[in-house]
Amino acid sequence: MVKEEKEIANRPDNTAFTQQRLPAWQPMLSAGIVIPGFVLIGLAFIGIGVALFVTSRSITVLEIDYTGVEKDSPCYKCSDADVKNCVCNLVFSIDSLFEGPVFFYYGLSNYFQNYRKYAASKDDDQLSGDLDAFTAPSDSCSPYDYNSNDKPIVPCGAIANSMFNDTFKLYRVVNGAKKLVPLDGKGIAWWTDYNVKYRNPSVTPLKNAFNNTVKPIFWPKPAYQLDASDPANNGFINQDFLVWMRRAALPDFRKLYRRITEGDYAKGLPAGNYSLTIAYNYPVLSFDGTKKVVFSNVSWMGGKNEFLGIAYLVVGSLCVLMSIVMLIVYAKFKFPEED
Amino acid sequence: MKSFLCFRWGRYADNLVRSYKYSPLTFLPLTLFEQFQRAANLYFLLMVVMQCVPVISSIPFYITIFPLLIVLSVRGLKDLANDMARRRSDSEINSRPCDVLDSQSFSRAQWKDVCVGDVLRIHKDQVIPADLLLLCSSEPHSLCYVETADIDGESNLKFRQALSATHNQMTSHPSEETLAAFDGVVLCEEPNNRLYTFRGQMHWRGESLLLDNEHILLRGTVLRNTEFAYGLTIYTGADSKILRNCGKLRVKRTRMERVFNQVVIGIVLSVLLAALLLAIGAGVFSSWVMSHTGPTSALVINGNPVYTGFLIFWSYIILLSPAMPISLYISFEVIHTVHSLFIGWDMEMYWQQADRPAQARNTSLNEELGQVGYLLSDKTGTLTQNRLLFRQCCIAGEVYGDASGKAEDTEPMDLSWNPFSCGGLFMSAPSLVQKLRGQQCPISCQFLRALSVCHTVMAEWKEEAPVYQAASPDEEALVGAARELGWVFLSRTRDFIVVSELGVTRDHRRRMSVLVREPEGGLKLYCKGADLVILERLQKDCLHQERTERALELFSQACLRTLCVAVRSVPEASWEQWSKTLDQSATMVTSDRDALLEKLYDQMEIDLQLIGVTAIEDRLQEGVPETIALLQQAGLKVWVLTGDKKETAVNIGYSCKLLDPDTRLLEWQELRQILQSPDPGVTFFKARQTELWAVDKQTAEVKTALVLTGPELAEFDQRPEWGATFMRLAEQCQSVLCCRVTPGQKADIVSLVRKHTRSVTMSIGDGANDVNMIKTAHVGVGLAGVEGGQAVQNADFALSQFRFLQRLLLVHGRWSYRRISFFLRYFLFKTCGFALVHIWFGFFNGFSAQSLYETWFIGLYSVFYTAFPVMCLAFFEQDVNAESSLKWPELYRSGQRQELSTYDFQTMAVTVAMAATFTANVEISLITRYWTRLNVAAVCVSVVMFFICSRITHSTRLFKASPMDYLFLGASDRAFIDPLVWLTALLTTWTAVLPSMTALAINVILNMQDKHKVHSASSQPVELRSRLRRGASLRRSSYALSQGAGPGRLISSGTCIRSTVPTVDEQVAADNNSTDSQLQINMKNNSDAPNHA
Repeated sequence: MVKEEKEIANRPDNTAFTQQRLPAWQPMLSAGIVIPGFVLIGLAFIGIGVALFVTSRSITVLEIDYTGVEKDSPCYKCSDADVKNCVCNLVFSIDSLFEGPVFFYYGLSNYFQNYRKYAASKDDDQLSGDLDAFTAPSDSCSPYDYNSNDKPIVPCGAIANSMFNDTFKLYRVVNGAKKLVPLDGKGIAWWTDYNVKYRNPSVTPLKNAFNNTVKPIFWPKPAYQLDASDPANNGFINQDFLVWMRRAALPDFRKLYRRITEGDYAKGLPAGNYSLTIAYNYPVLSFDGTKKVVFSNVSWMGGKNEFLGIAYLVVGSLCVLMSIVMLIVYAKFKFPEED
Repeated sequence: MKSFLCFRWGRYADNLVRSYKYSPLTFLPLTLFEQFQRAANLYFLLMVVMQCVPVISSIPFYITIFPLLIVLSVRGLKDLANDMARRRSDSEINSRPCDVLDSQSFSRAQWKDVCVGDVLRIHKDQVIPADLLLLCSSEPHSLCYVETADIDGESNLKFRQALSATHNQMTSHPSEETLAAFDGVVLCEEPNNRLYTFRGQMHWRGESLLLDNEHILLRGTVLRNTEFAYGLTIYTGADSKILRNCGKLRVKRTRMERVFNQVVIGIVLSVLLAALLLAIGAGVFSSWVMSHTGPTSALVINGNPVYTGFLIFWSYIILLSPAMPISLYISFEVIHTVHSLFIGWDMEMYWQQADRPAQARNTSLNEELGQVGYLLSDKTGTLTQNRLLFRQCCIAGEVYGDASGKAEDTEPMDLSWNPFSCGGLFMSAPSLVQKLRGQQCPISCQFLRALSVCHTVMAEWKEEAPVYQAASPDEEALVGAARELGWVFLSRTRDFIVVSELGVTRDHRRRMSVLVREPEGGLKLYCKGADLVILERLQKDCLHQERTERALELFSQACLRTLCVAVRSVPEASWEQWSKTLDQSATMVTSDRDALLEKLYDQMEIDLQLIGVTAIEDRLQEGVPETIALLQQAGLKVWVLTGDKKETAVNIGYSCKLLDPDTRLLEWQELRQILQSPDPGVTFFKARQTELWAVDKQTAEVKTALVLTGPELAEFDQRPEWGATFMRLAEQCQSVLCCRVTPGQKADIVSLVRKHTRSVTMSIGDGANDVNMIKTAHVGVGLAGVEGGQAVQNADFALSQFRFLQRLLLVHGRWSYRRISFFLRYFLFKTCGFALVHIWFGFFNGFSAQSLYETWFIGLYSVFYTAFPVMCLAFFEQDVNAESSLKWPELYRSGQRQELSTYDFQTMAVTVAMAATFTANVEISLITRYWTRLNVAAVCVSVVMFFICSRITHSTRLFKASPMDYLFLGASDRAFIDPLVWLTALLTTWTAVLPSMTALAINVILNMQDKHKVHSASSQPVELRSRLRRGASLRRSSYALSQGAGPGRLISSGTCIRSTVPTVDEQVAADNNSTDSQLQINMKNNSDAPNHA
């Protein structure tokens, strides 16, 4: 008995794992599956593409460039860097009801918010309300960490310093009279940014926290005076500031400025003439950039995005096309004698 | 005792085996040192260092150090585990017991306590603990036997003998005192690794005695057939010959590894180039930024675009470093190990009879098994079983036995009258037995007498029966057959059976003779040998010659190994004269002594009278023809390299289906002409075309095989330019048979194939003579067979049966190859695709080395999000007949230009990360054709891991703990509920896998056609024609004489004496039925009488 056991001591275990016989599903691909599969996937993609495209087409977008490069542009006078506190008026008309809710964006181009040094140029500790970081900003903010008098800049860094500071007022022109369209600036930033990531120091009044600091060089007003109308909308949790601090991924981008949801405009912008008053402050011509305002409504898929629909259509058609090619190849191989 | 000797402490290695490398203190530095010799590890260390430089750090350092640490610790743990195993086996060996002389008596000690100068007592069947000088043994003449299977793989016994001086002085009883009083001084050469030579001197009692290899018992050998032996320790531990021989194995590298190394170099170069171009871009962009006042103008470092570009270069090298597959080496090792385990676990390759599973001794060559183009096989013991069976014989023209059926089916004869019969004769010839027992036929008796006396076999008594120790299995079969039929070889004793060896049994003589004085007083010469040799030495008009030759032909056709047996009565007068001359010549010490002896032997071996022919079946191993046919179908070229004769090799070739019946054999004469002709290819083609026997002119492919012999191969050395031509011809041939080749030539042939083809070569063999070729080939396979373990020791894979080769190659090899190539390609796809995105993104962020991914994603991507499925693929993938080619995911860059612009950076990062994870997992799903539960689980786990880990690293809790490290707060929360993110990721994924998907689909469609072809081809009936060529004489006679000198010298020196030899009376009793055939052959020892007077 012992001997017998010894004799098979080296016998391998007869298990599914050791014998590589684990139960497995082996997809048996054949032309009968592959070609219809391609057709089906292609059709599905075309379907999605059509849905996306149609949805996208239903979205109305109104884009107006106000950089003021051309001489006949209303903002031409403001595009000169030497002109301060320039205001220009942009007049446009809407033929039919611009269905709401309407989103009001500003857009910049040739603007590299994703430049690595730029992207890193902020102090997260400072922005989360750490008072130590107020007196000693992080190195990453350099050269926007201290001013020429060696005073710490709060908020420091290139992102904050370059905050977009054009402001807009939209009027509906009814019978020659300008009627202000109310713009909703609440909740345009991310919830986590507003509630978690960015915190004002717990000092009241807020102004005291900024003692012995200076405002960013480019800014006309310090951070605690960003919104004079709403004291709660100041400091690092100012909505416009939060929107700006969320960097764009690509050099041509647009950022949400306001929503038009209130009063008479809850259903959208009625047809008619409108006048947009722009406080033109932000220089873009120096780096060949452009500025624009964008009015858009949204669908379930967000803003207007024709590319995605077209891409789906193209890829889907490609699949169908390929399945046709495959069918031809298959036919040639299957009935070679007939050729 | 020790002080008597010239040996000093400290000058010699102790007898401890230390194969371990690490101690607790040295482990860390040593393992780190070893691991950082790998380029990839060093590269990553460099990356970590660079990432600590803030100006260029594009990714935080902990992201790279994380995978690096995993790789280092896995490797380190593996080394540590191996080292622990080595320590355990060391301590097991070191604590083996042995008897050491301690002043006046022997006491138990452990191996590790043995020192140079100790006198040891070795018991029967004990392993010798150190290299010893044999002082004396319990046997007469202080002889002892050792088995060297562990050293050279030869399983036959070898003898060692003490110096007569020590033997004479120390065999008195009790021996302890004399041993203790031994005060000789031994001078020996520096420790070396030469197993077969030893030179030394012993100064003792004023005498200086020369020592050589014969006086030495090597560590690792086993004492056999000897009660005990006493030895003086001369080399211990690391100085001993066997440990000196434990040289490093030549590391075989697989092609895949070479490809991989090239790929790594390629990646490094591409990364450098990409970084350089991007850095130039960064410089240009910086100068543009400088010339335009904007938000980023002040960020150009030092206001110097060139300096910025320089820094960006290093930043990009860091950022693109994930393209370098750091974990590839370690994954490779893990996969190889698992594949090797699978080979060992395979029940189909487990040989029940010997309780031996297949073994992958070298765990890094698995995928080579799937690429073998040339299989070079030994014959004996590899294709054949090397278990020889006596199947037929022809005595005086009468054929006995029938070899047409299987050996097992032979009806066993009633041999109960023979007390020594112990089975093993697969011949049914009752008429022969009747003749023998009835004393009717003196010539049959002579035939069997010849078989029982003319050999070099040694008998060992175990349980009242003789066990034969033969140097060659042929002899064992013959002596065994004689035993079964009543002619029992019992033993050699000096007094009763003294056998005169006519010369040392060397292969080139291909015969062997023995002179016997018969009981009646007559002197007979018995001779056995190859047919050609014997037939030319026969008397004229020999009786039965014609019928015997017919029998020879018959046996040859049945693929039996034949030997002729002949006899001659030697007149007393001529014997005396011859013997005198022999004595004179034997004492000569001139160089031409051998030639002289040879001439003398020739004088004696004349006028022989043919008695008969033996036919031994060298059975093919089970399944050999099927395996060879299968391998040939798989496109392998199977060559046979054998030390055997051409005829034997060719017949084995036919019987194992290596050659088809209508295969044309191209021999040297023709081949030489072809090789010499100006246009060998054309000549070769013509030679094939003009063959008349090409029955079917329609079959375009005329099958040809090359047959070469060793001496002919030697010509290749002088004509190296023939090598390439030869290989070109060989490639068109069905097979090549090389006969009569030496072990060295076997290796040369392998090198020739390696040199002139790009194919992977595999050698398979079982004997010590195959070691050379096993080591030379890309992959060496050792068959654990009859001939001992040396082939296995040197092989990369060890099998028990030749037929297991088909599974090893066609199943495991193919799987391994496919799994590993898919693994490699997928791995590169995964890492490069991952890193390439940064190049594309560089065009949109001013070449600022901005990472598109969240840092944590970079760290976790290769380990958690994509590693498991690919490992599962590499472990379990099976039946991959569709080859999907991986292409660059250029479409990663598709679209997404203007339209994603409402996206903030973080959402886009999550989208791209999601697409990357999806793509990697979809791609692996496409490649996987064999979905086990583990595969499914791995894919699911990877994708789920991505979502879970993303949520974790983007969570509020982690952000609050360290705002700087977890910047992506809330990004995934928003992204994962955005339909656009999903749609984009879906589109990107699909577009990225579309090329490989299409390739797969097209493959499926095209493969159908191949399958169809294969199917229709195999349905055609295969006509088997007679395997014999008409008109061709196929006489095969082969005679396997022992490879080395064998125990011939020992036998003739008359010192091989067992104390338990049965007396002549016992022999009489043993053969009481036929007194005539008793082995009471009293004869004179011719050649050695003067030496041992």
